[in-house]
Amino acid sequence: MQQAGHAQSGDQIKRSRRHEGPRNHLIAFAISIILTILAFAAVSIPGLSKGFVFTLLVLMAILQVLVQLAFWMHLKDRGHFWAILTMIFGALVVVYAVASAELWTWFA
Amino acid sequence: MSHAHAEGNSIESLERRTLEGRNKILGFWIFLGAEVVIFGTLFAAHIGLRSEVNFGPSGSELFSLPIVAIMTALLLTSSMTSVMAIQAMHRHDAKGVAVWLAVTVLLALGFLALEIYEFTHYVHEYGFDIQMSPFSTTFYVLVGCHGLHVAIGIIWISLLIGQLFKKGLTVVTAPKIYVASLYWHFIDVVWVFIFTVVYLMGKVG
Amino acid sequence: MAHAHAQASAHSHAHVHEHKKRYTGIMDWLTTVDHKKIGILYLGAGLVFFLIAGLEAVFVRLQLMYPMNNVLSAQQFNEMITMHGTTMLFLAALPILYGFFNFIVPLQIGARDVAFPFLNSLGFWTFVFGGILLNLGFFTGSLPDAGWTAYPPLSTMYSPGEGMDLYSIGLQLSGIGTLLGGINFIVTIVNMRAPGMTMMRMPLFTWTCFVMSILIVFAFSAFAVGLLMLTFDRIFGGNFFNPTTGGNVILWQHIFWIFGHPEVYILILPAFGILSEVIPTFSRKRLFGYTSMVFATAIIGFLGFMVWAHHMFTVGMGAVANTLFSIATMLIAVPTGIKIFNWIFTMWKGQITFNTANLFATGFIPSFTMGGVTGVMLAIAAADYQFQDSYFVVAHFHYVIVGGTVHGIFAAFFYWFPKMFGRKLNETLGKIMFWLFLIGFHMTFFVQHWLGLIGMPRRVYTYLDGQPGWNEMNFVSSVGALLMSVAVILLLINVIITMRKPADAEGDAWGDGRTLEWAIASPPPEYNFKQVPLVRGLDPWWLEKRAGRKEMTPAEPVGPIHMPNGSILPLIMSIGLFIAGLGIMYSQTIVAVLGFGVLIVCMVIRSLVDDPGYHIDPEELDSKGVKA
Repeated sequence: MQQAGHAQSGDQIKRSRRHEGPRNHLIAFAISIILTILAFAAVSIPGLSKGFVFTLLVLMAILQVLVQLAFWMHLKDRGHFWAILTMIFGALVVVYAVASAELWTWFA
Repeated sequence: MSHAHAEGNSIESLERRTLEGRNKILGFWIFLGAEVVIFGTLFAAHIGLRSEVNFGPSGSELFSLPIVAIMTALLLTSSMTSVMAIQAMHRHDAKGVAVWLAVTVLLALGFLALEIYEFTHYVHEYGFDIQMSPFSTTFYVLVGCHGLHVAIGIIWISLLIGQLFKKGLTVVTAPKIYVASLYWHFIDVVWVFIFTVVYLMGKVG
Repeated sequence: MAHAHAQASAHSHAHVHEHKKRYTGIMDWLTTVDHKKIGILYLGAGLVFFLIAGLEAVFVRLQLMYPMNNVLSAQQFNEMITMHGTTMLFLAALPILYGFFNFIVPLQIGARDVAFPFLNSLGFWTFVFGGILLNLGFFTGSLPDAGWTAYPPLSTMYSPGEGMDLYSIGLQLSGIGTLLGGINFIVTIVNMRAPGMTMMRMPLFTWTCFVMSILIVFAFSAFAVGLLMLTFDRIFGGNFFNPTTGGNVILWQHIFWIFGHPEVYILILPAFGILSEVIPTFSRKRLFGYTSMVFATAIIGFLGFMVWAHHMFTVGMGAVANTLFSIATMLIAVPTGIKIFNWIFTMWKGQITFNTANLFATGFIPSFTMGGVTGVMLAIAAADYQFQDSYFVVAHFHYVIVGGTVHGIFAAFFYWFPKMFGRKLNETLGKIMFWLFLIGFHMTFFVQHWLGLIGMPRRVYTYLDGQPGWNEMNFVSSVGALLMSVAVILLLINVIITMRKPADAEGDAWGDGRTLEWAIASPPPEYNFKQVPLVRGLDPWWLEKRAGRKEMTPAEPVGPIHMPNGSILPLIMSIGLFIAGLGIMYSQTIVAVLGFGVLIVCMVIRSLVDDPGYHIDPEELDSKGVKA
């Protein structure tokens, strides 16, 4: 079986996930819960402008997603260069699609 | 014999120990990139068409935030339990993996049941079906696509639990379980955007 | 113990009994998971679709040869142009390129197969059945007819027959295959390169495969959603693009072109890669500016996603949007220009051999450049208001696709034919074919620039007599098409007579091979490399030859070689999806459920039944590394 050269070095042992407990993941869980509650709360508060609420909601959603990607999906760990690149490129294409649908479909 | 190398002195975790395992994980991440574009395009269509209700009900009339909150709680927790399953896998605790995966499936079934109830409620109470308006079409296709992914995930993880009992934790089954948990987290990531963009923003108007 | 087994191998520890399933003859081809055989299958199927699409083009040109002609009715004409475009792009060009990538890329990186051999086969069969579905219209009497771009509301409410359903579902199915292939190539290139082959030592052909695959993963997914929306609107009463209920037809255009523009870069990048292999080999000189070529490829891929709305300048997006896309489009000309100059500098002062492969490669340079410069003209948004929907656009894209991709494909065909089939194609026939094709191609499409400029719209099934220039130019254009057909027939004859000759080509068939595929036999043995080679630099085979060696330095001792078993499941899964597609099209729920059921059962079987493959022992290999 051929290899593409995955050498292990000393400091990589330290960053390996093998002996990590669930602590970081539980913190990510807590953050997700808090952000979710805040999001639901934001739409229940009367008197806020729609634009402000929408911006807040989107920012909190992005934050929660980044936390879940980093911790639960291990993007912060070693060996995820291509995974991160894939997610960034995918997000970019989504930006193009959303921009098209929002900006350049309805005309005055 | 299948467990002989589980305690090997290799530093890599079980799912990354073979070339096949590493290939599967990278391949799945690329597939997730494709899924990002798929859901993103569906979101774009929804964002562009959400105000076209064709004299039918809008989101603010339809959506019940308490139910959405419960569904979110169920799915989020199921994502956490799938993390615990992988933790168990890295401790070589096959029984723990099976238990946590089973809990994940149960929570997911709860989510799906609520969603099916929600959809049938809309159709029966409001006549809000796919054909009513662009808003209804994008709603059902986007949220329904996500629900379909949940259903597929439930079947997939259930089959994996079965395989776990038959074959145990090996360098062959470990990548499958790891990849399934990546899929499951991704489903929750998409749901974060769905409850935000479709339900919360839809409720506001 | 072989280094290759130092890491735990799932298959050497498997407690499932290892055995080789020996298929022969047709069954071998139906069940193969070998990238070389799958590559040949892709080439074969792609060639068949190429011929069909070419025939469709001939019909189009026959109809337009004379004014007020009646070779085809208006409806039939619309069907022919739609099928010609759709078949050429999705079922001919891309699969043929996949055929070359499948066969050659693993060899170029020193691998024994792609990352997912089973998925490779599945990708091929879904492509085939998607293509069959798309072409079913020839038997049902209702072909897709709304152009390859399928704009609603023409493709929805104004195309009530089954034709466009074949389009939306057939392309969805073949798109799955394309997506699987793209993922496969990326993982193969990232994870399975031989020791010493860093990414900046990969051949350009592999690099373009890599970037193309990334484009495929992200672009085809968007198209899949667009097709899904089209299917919902057509079959399930959806309202995505229904203007009467508040839907938006421009949404389709955005989604289609967010896919459609990267699609054309998906088609041209491989041709760039082919040129970067053929030209250095037959100039006996290394590629000029390797690093800049790699970066240019990456930039073209990246920018390719940011220019899609140049297909929509006249839709009304406004001046700001038009300007942004106009500038972004012109920017792409820069890295492309870098590539063109690098090929010319490669040939400069080289010892050039003008065989057929190199003729096509060299012919690419001026032809594609002409297409490129008309592209810059089209990129000027204000000018595009005049060019849009005229034959000027038709001329432009045929220059870049035929002058570009097709020339590249023919060059690759002559270049790698000995590697794949052990014999070289006949050079005399090849040269005649080249000149016929070149002359025919320019006859057909050069005059179309003028036709567009004097006002002939595209997608019209006939034109009035007496318009100055129209009759003559259309006539010339049609004659050119006939010349190109003769050229293609000559190619077929060439293949047939060549396959009758003995397969006695050398491993380094052209003598001047630079990359790893030329370091092994022609055709290669089942397992490609007896020992995975050690790569010391760019053009690794050339380096070894310059150092006086006759073989690559191995990176591992001789040991048992692990091979995957073939499987009939991919074929069955594709048939299941085909049946499901038909069920959806005709709203027969039971048929659809049955089709999906077949798919799911096969997936479960594949997952539950472990198939560890088999090993080839060193004793079975003779001294040349060929299996006894």
